Amino acid sequence: MKRNEVIKLILFFFFLMTTIAFGVLFPRLTLPFGFSYIIYLMAKPFTLRLTTGSRRQRIIYSALMAVGFTFMLFPLFATLYNADTNFSQFYQQLPELQKILQDHFFKFKVYVFERFSINITVDPVNYLIAKMEAMSALFLGQIPDYLSSILEWFLLVPLFLYFFFKESRKFSRWFMEGIPNPIFEKTYVLFSQFNTKFGEYIIAKFIEATILGSIVTAGLLIIDFPYPFILGFVAGITNILPYIGPVLGFVPAILVALLSKDPNVSMLGMFIVFSTANLIDMILVFPLLVSKIVNLHPIIVVVSIILGSQLGGVVGMIVIIPFIAFFKLLFKEIYKDLSVHL
Amino acid sequence: MSYEKEIMEKLSRGETSPDRLDISILRYMWDSSPLSFKESYHDFFKKISVLNSFSDNEVRLFTKFLHRREFTTNELIFKQGDSGYGFYFIYSGSVNIYANHNAQSEEQGDFVIRLEKHQYFGEMGLLEEFNRRSATVISSEHTVLLGIFKPDLERMLEMHPVLGAKFLRETALIMANRMGQLTRELIAMKKKLKELEQRI
Repeated sequence: MKRNEVIKLILFFFFLMTTIAFGVLFPRLTLPFGFSYIIYLMAKPFTLRLTTGSRRQRIIYSALMAVGFTFMLFPLFATLYNADTNFSQFYQQLPELQKILQDHFFKFKVYVFERFSINITVDPVNYLIAKMEAMSALFLGQIPDYLSSILEWFLLVPLFLYFFFKESRKFSRWFMEGIPNPIFEKTYVLFSQFNTKFGEYIIAKFIEATILGSIVTAGLLIIDFPYPFILGFVAGITNILPYIGPVLGFVPAILVALLSKDPNVSMLGMFIVFSTANLIDMILVFPLLVSKIVNLHPIIVVVSIILGSQLGGVVGMIVIIPFIAFFKLLFKEIYKDLSVHL
Repeated sequence: MSYEKEIMEKLSRGETSPDRLDISILRYMWDSSPLSFKESYHDFFKKISVLNSFSDNEVRLFTKFLHRREFTTNELIFKQGDSGYGFYFIYSGSVNIYANHNAQSEEQGDFVIRLEKHQYFGEMGLLEEFNRRSATVISSEHTVLLGIFKPDLERMLEMHPVLGAKFLRETALIMANRMGQLTRELIAMKKKLKELEQRI
């Protein structure tokens, strides 16, 4: 490689590293920027349909999108509508929940001692309740901070989105021109593939979450289980996290069933609803919508989610999967090239 | 399809027409007019024989998908065995093509051909799913290439399907021509080999 090519490469990587360092140092700017970029990638396939075709086609497509989004977000509105009542109700029932859980755990302890002569000394119930109380206190204390960042996001996200839609082509051209010749082709193709896969993955996960949430809500409505919209919404949202999500989505429903004094509330019915919804998701929705996009081994997915949660909390858990899929693609390319040239 | 025809069709379909001056189109039209001194992308592509079937408007749309890459003298464009994703047109300068490139040593390999302005190479990279470059290409002077890559082709097919299909047809024609040339060369070589065998 010639000297000027090496200098160009070093400069390019220096620019890249500086951008990443800037992003890490200023998360208040990076996070809304990243969020806007994700929305932009998700909206990109739709914008093409909304900007091309006849007026009638565009009207029909807009109407379909409006119906789809309303259907997707209806449980959220239904949940928010009664959020304060539901939250205070749940807070009042917390001591009762503690007692129920302690009773169940005590029965389990006695059973283990009688059967296996093992004395369980740990107390996970008290630990969990204390943790929940500490977390809610922390959350309440940080509400002013959250509100200020929400206001900041309300200002920044639309602004970033506007410029993404308007100038993304110009910006990506400018970025592409800066890529040194020896790595141009590969970088451009990988960058495009990453953008497409990332957008497709997030859309697919949202559609999957909507389908699962709808099935759970419909099932809970049929068996007359309390809070069908909240539980359906939680099941859908937690389902965005592969493998761990379905288990997390199940927990609130178990708590509601344990707390309920209504004899019509059936734990078995709820269990059947959740199992059916997850089965449909596993057999039909996931293979058709998501698995083709990322194509990762289950162990890699689980390890990635744990890594993602450590790096970026809940958001990290969701976005780490397409990043890992991208790195898999990148290493595959590098390995293929090395095997040819070495 | 001409630009005017495209606008008329859009209007007849009930779509809105641009109600303001499109500066980039005006600039493009000026650059491609005989009054302009510099050779525009438009003039350049009009001189490329395989893209003859493209209308002026299609050439204009086609140029939107291209990437301009500049190479200094003796700069490597791609190596034999590299993954290939793009198709290049030589806008200015020239390139040398070498076969049997050795990756371990820095040798370029055997010289095959020199390609000049208005010629093109790398079309297989655009069509094959897992393409490996079959030769090494090095610029022989300061060279400007206009490249189109797989993501651009996919975008072109999505946004302008007719143009995309037309470009694919032209690319297939280029490959068919190359195949025909190869077959003729193979037949000639076989003939020579037979003559040599008979002499021995």
